[in-house]
Amino acid sequence: MSKTITRRRFIGTCGAVGAAAGLVGTGRPLQAQGRPPGWRGTLRVKKVASVCEMCFWRCGILASVAAGRVLRVEGNPDHPMTKGRLCARGNAGTSLLYDRDRLKFPMMRVGKRGEGQFKRITWDEALDFLAEKLKGIKQAHGAESVAFFPHGVSASFFSILMKAYGTPNSAEPAFAQCRGPREVGYALTFGRGLGSPEPVDLEETKLMVFIGTHIGENVFTSQVTAFAEGLAKGAKLVVVDPRFSTAAEKADWWLPIRPGTDIALLLAWIHVLIEENLCDQDYLKQYANGFDKVAAHVKSFTPEWAEKITQIPADRIRETARAMGKAKPAVALHPGRHATWYGDDTQRARAMAILTALLGAWGRKGGIFLPTSSPKGSFDLPDYPEPTRPRADGAGTTYPLASEELGVTNGLVDATLTGKPYPIKAWIVYGQNSLQSIPQQERTKKAIDSLDLMVVVDVMPNDHVLWADLVLPEATYLERYDPPAVSESAKVPFVSVRFPAIAPLYESKPGWWIAQQMAKRLGLEAFFPWKTPEEHFATIIEPMDLNAEELMVRGAMPFPGRPYLDDRIAAGETLFETDSGKIELYSARLKELGFDPLPVYTPIEDPPDGYFRLLYGRAPVHSFARSENNEQLFGLMPENELWMQASVAQHLGLQDSQRVILENQDGVKSLPVRLKVTQGIHPDCVYMVHGFGQRSRLLSRAGGKGASDTELMTRVKIDPIMGGTGMRVNFVKPVALGPGR
Amino acid sequence: MVTDLRKCVGCQACTSACNSEWDVPAGFARTRITHTPVTGTFPTLAAGILVAQCSHCDDAPCIAPCPSGATFRDANGIVQVNRELCIGCGFCVEACPYQARFINPVIKKVDKCDFCSPRLARGQEPACVTTCTAHAKFFGDLEDRHSEVFRMVYTEGAQRRESDDIAVGPNVYYLGKPSQVQLVMNTFPPRKPKLPVSGTLWEKLAKPAILGAVGLTFLGQAIAFFHQLRHGEKDHED
Repeated sequence: MSKTITRRRFIGTCGAVGAAAGLVGTGRPLQAQGRPPGWRGTLRVKKVASVCEMCFWRCGILASVAAGRVLRVEGNPDHPMTKGRLCARGNAGTSLLYDRDRLKFPMMRVGKRGEGQFKRITWDEALDFLAEKLKGIKQAHGAESVAFFPHGVSASFFSILMKAYGTPNSAEPAFAQCRGPREVGYALTFGRGLGSPEPVDLEETKLMVFIGTHIGENVFTSQVTAFAEGLAKGAKLVVVDPRFSTAAEKADWWLPIRPGTDIALLLAWIHVLIEENLCDQDYLKQYANGFDKVAAHVKSFTPEWAEKITQIPADRIRETARAMGKAKPAVALHPGRHATWYGDDTQRARAMAILTALLGAWGRKGGIFLPTSSPKGSFDLPDYPEPTRPRADGAGTTYPLASEELGVTNGLVDATLTGKPYPIKAWIVYGQNSLQSIPQQERTKKAIDSLDLMVVVDVMPNDHVLWADLVLPEATYLERYDPPAVSESAKVPFVSVRFPAIAPLYESKPGWWIAQQMAKRLGLEAFFPWKTPEEHFATIIEPMDLNAEELMVRGAMPFPGRPYLDDRIAAGETLFETDSGKIELYSARLKELGFDPLPVYTPIEDPPDGYFRLLYGRAPVHSFARSENNEQLFGLMPENELWMQASVAQHLGLQDSQRVILENQDGVKSLPVRLKVTQGIHPDCVYMVHGFGQRSRLLSRAGGKGASDTELMTRVKIDPIMGGTGMRVNFVKPVALGPGR
Repeated sequence: MVTDLRKCVGCQACTSACNSEWDVPAGFARTRITHTPVTGTFPTLAAGILVAQCSHCDDAPCIAPCPSGATFRDANGIVQVNRELCIGCGFCVEACPYQARFINPVIKKVDKCDFCSPRLARGQEPACVTTCTAHAKFFGDLEDRHSEVFRMVYTEGAQRRESDDIAVGPNVYYLGKPSQVQLVMNTFPPRKPKLPVSGTLWEKLAKPAILGAVGLTFLGQAIAFFHQLRHGEKDHED
């Protein structure tokens, strides 16, 4: 008996090892090895050129498609701007496409708002319902009582629909929660804003100055490339940031400013430039107005004055100003992107614009270059109906210089809550997570709850979807046509277009289809006089002087840019579209409107004892509050953490990696968040990456992970010039949780 | 492979591209970004970024411990894993001084960077190099005197991540400001290879033992086969 057992055991235990070893001779050639099953096999892979939409930079992608599946999204080497490079998010495109949590079918709410209880309905039911509701609201309250919150190029079709319907009330967070102050401040000074991508000549510059920019953590592919190439070519770098950011690690001068005092630093820099005669006088004489007024204005703003405010030593301020003077005009003062901080943000942008002008850097090599536009075809549409009531968001009235194209989101929230200037009865939220993008979440929720109708068009069940009465699932950027867009402010300007790599999954539909179907139901077909995306595409690019077929195949095509002032002078163009036709260092326009014509530093409120100013920013692997549930990106960064100065943590008895809850000045508490104890942050503030802490349990990965900065923003300071919500005016204190979780 | 740490911003495009290219499960990585802790006292600080992947070491400590012969060096000098031979034992994972290997939980076998060998065979660069937003990664033949990487290593002084104890000739190099490279090297020194038993003992005893066992399996199977052939299947008592 023992004999037989031995033999069987021997074979049994060695079998596993033997089986593996037995394959020695049958190994396939190495090339085939490592390819996951189904990757290629015998399938022919088609590469479709398109435009990424993991964020809005418009990088070029190639989607590998086989058997109706997108296998891989990679950079398009033929793309004029990104030349085949693509960030972590872009490389994770298929994880959005195949996310198990995607919105798959039209849905109608069955539970209470915020509960996320829905029933599946058909597209016909959904669209008929929406059309009936919109007709009813128009009849009872007027078309203006519908507010539209768009984001992204695919929303442009629905924007046409909304204008045709008759409402002027459209607003995106890209203005009042993001770039608005910057656009307004630079437009006041130079006659035009900056746009996206930011036209900063990082590659050709001698000196980069970042004040409110964290390139590296904020990743836009071509901007990172230009940044790195600029550094490699020997450009120096000044980084002003209360946090030791990735860019600060690379900086020649890191100025860890006390949060909220940037204008004081900018004024002191201007003081030094003028005092030490470091400005580009020829440039200013030729192009600018108001130099003497600026000189008189900054007379008392010495580096010593600024040192007391900013906590940056006066000699560092002088040293960096001199570096700028030496490098001029090749100084790339990055204008920043998210600029709604303290409510005086347009004035800060003005100070940056003035500094740029004094260095002669606007329109000059190594400074800020100029965008080049391209003609665009259009359809012969009927006139949009003239709204009988003015905008409800205050753009152009309460906030005199707010963009009427982009609108003031928070103005619409206010109008919805107060019923003034007139009641808002419906919201259509298109591709923006309004609960995470607009501060004062409780007000937003209350506003939504007062509506007759809340509609969401989106790809993922983000927080705001839970509040919708009607949910319309949009196709992702890999499944839909979006109109050609001109990236005017790229160094090599280009036009690019998105055609679907595969047909929409589930019952999701492209934005153009949704808008067209609604137009039919509302009797507004005349505003959509085209049948297919191809027809639409052909009309838009008709005057562009390029081969339509080539553009479709290549995804993007460049056209000649004229990036510098010299190019424009030769052509005899208007250089500055300001009131005076010159750079307005002194803004008569602001004076007229009752604002400071030159930027002034106003102290901001300090955090109360035991509280810290809440700062926030971006991570290279996530986009706003859109990508946190993406499986691949979730794998790279599943949650955010709270940066806290080591000396502060020690004082509070908090340990690195410990979980804390944040409580803000109004008693609002966050979800638990892990502490990152570091020397790399100013003791007055704490910092976290935005976009986490979503409460939606329909997000099976990201739901409940990390803390939301937006949730803690119960206060804002409104920029009276343009209506932006200053959001860095909230204070939090950490409350320790027990050890472990 | 040379990474220019002056340019790298740690954006993880390399990791993400690699994950997509090779279906690396979420949360795992063949190439990984790690930030050093911030050193110094506010506001005089320094920090750096490590971009790590298989270094395809000249004296690769992962080859010897592999009991099944799955890990080997190919004609191009690239350290490869033959997945059909790999038994997922993880000895090589422990042996790697750079923590560049891991057990892929989906296929239950070892996974690591192979410099994108199939892409190289198609004339493409590794996916991480192609996608790098900072244009900080460079790939080439160190034996080619005219290559970019040759210049970076032999003229510009790109460094290997080695210590006095562990010097196995990694073929991933780092360029950067000396202080920055030093900080990264000091923060992330190569790890002493861990083997199930000591290295020599393993080489001399354990490995032959396992190989012997493997051989005996065949022998046993063969004996049983011929035995049965000659005597026919018999019932055995268990």
